Amino acid sequence: MAKQPDRTDPILEVSDLDCFYGDLQVIRQVCFKVLDGDVVALFGPNGHGKSTLLKTIGGIHPTANGSVRFRGQDITQAPVEQRVEMGLVYIPEDKNLFLDMSVLENLCMGAFNKRARKHLATGLQFVFSLFPRLAERKSQSAMTLSGGEARMLAIGRGMMSRAALLMIDEPSIGLSPLLKKTVFEAIRQIHSNSEASILVVEQEVDYPLKLAKRIYLLSKGRIVLEKQAGEINKAQIEKAYF
Amino acid sequence: MSSYFVIDLVNTLLSGLLIGSLYAIMALGLTIIQGVVRIFNFAHGGMSILGGYLTFMFLSGAGFNLIVSMILSCLLMFVFGLILYRGAIVFLVKKPNWEIASVIFLLGLGILMENLILQVFGARVKEIPVFFEDAFEFGFVRINHHDVVLIVFVMVFVLGLNLFFSRTWLGRSIRAVAQDIQGARVVGVNANRTLGFAFGLASAVTGLAGILLASKYYLTPQVGWEWMFKGFIIVVFGGLGTITGAIFAGLVMGLVEALITFYGSQSWVWPAWFVIFLVILLVKPEGLFGRKSASY
Repeated sequence: MAKQPDRTDPILEVSDLDCFYGDLQVIRQVCFKVLDGDVVALFGPNGHGKSTLLKTIGGIHPTANGSVRFRGQDITQAPVEQRVEMGLVYIPEDKNLFLDMSVLENLCMGAFNKRARKHLATGLQFVFSLFPRLAERKSQSAMTLSGGEARMLAIGRGMMSRAALLMIDEPSIGLSPLLKKTVFEAIRQIHSNSEASILVVEQEVDYPLKLAKRIYLLSKGRIVLEKQAGEINKAQIEKAYF
Repeated sequence: MSSYFVIDLVNTLLSGLLIGSLYAIMALGLTIIQGVVRIFNFAHGGMSILGGYLTFMFLSGAGFNLIVSMILSCLLMFVFGLILYRGAIVFLVKKPNWEIASVIFLLGLGILMENLILQVFGARVKEIPVFFEDAFEFGFVRINHHDVVLIVFVMVFVLGLNLFFSRTWLGRSIRAVAQDIQGARVVGVNANRTLGFAFGLASAVTGLAGILLASKYYLTPQVGWEWMFKGFIIVVFGGLGTITGAIFAGLVMGLVEALITFYGSQSWVWPAWFVIFLVILLVKPEGLFGRKSASY
């Protein structure tokens, strides 16, 4: 039943991507890919376009030039809801939780797309097993959650979508060391328990480097480094930051 | 002497319950639009009388029965709301001064609607017949069948709307869009389509409220403004964006109006509305059920 991911097929292929904020070019000729079943980490200093890149691939930000191909299909002009339905899901750094809804309702909304609705119960089970604290708080309003719990809820909600590619924007930002560990452990489990490919954007290098198969470095809107995770270490990455 | 007092009080309270129910449903459309699309619908008056006049037209012009006329009117009002959203609102909210622009546009639309209706239907008072003629009498209490039906109808309708928003995917997607539009997008909600639907729904509810109010009172091209002002006060009183607040405030204001009309005089009704409005703005501007923060 489970299709073995073909490790030479890119599930996501970005070619010559340009993005602007008004007149300001933020992403320059970016090319990268995520192979089916892989975890890919995208590093880079703050403000250099990591979030914009993810937002553009997710469909929230418009593409100026270039193309985005998902599972072989050109989705460059596709609206967000179509990309989600196809299995490309973006989890924003801003979390964007539904504050007047309970934790449970937020998670259920994560399964809004037609593919995921049938698997609501199993999805919830999986999320609660990864994040027991969310289970404890499931009837509470999302407004009452702490920063770390809100982050877990955002990731959990993204997981409910049964995505083929999950794009997570700075999952560990602002979290305590213990929570960082929990979050990346959860991401590791998501990867091993489902067939989802994962694209993680982070400033923090240690955990993503351990998880990822391949890493990219984005600097001033350009890809300046592309390596298999085994070929590079933290010190080299940080040196390339500056 | 005191038994007359009790009789009068009970009758007044029942009357207040009826008026309050009608005010509550009148405020619902405003609440939905304000909560989801974040604009104040200044065409609300026009839309409520449109619902009434459409029903009148189906009843007397086409000879349909009441239920069919009401259903057709509500469907047409839904389409009206959808077209209004897709044709105008969508463009207005993208502008930098959208809050003012939408108010002016909708106000103008309301004036246009009032005058078009005046042209088409004339200035004479129109009536939508009461649903039932008789009255119940429980000892000293007398209440019209029509009034009971209205109260029950509003209660069932509000309950149904509540279930729609909490138990259906479409209803939840409307709440999601109202609370965090980007969050709604990333879970796969088509925000534009959902907003259009919400606008259509609010329009249909507003039209329905107009029909009910017209059946209890009367219908003229001008009466929509009065309904709209009261609707705005109720929405602010109850709390922006909360349906519970709108229902509660509507009922309270209905009771207040009934009590003042009976124990004071009719001319104190409007002053009472505005005094309460001022007090709320001074004491708890976010409304009874509203929250202090601006975010939803």
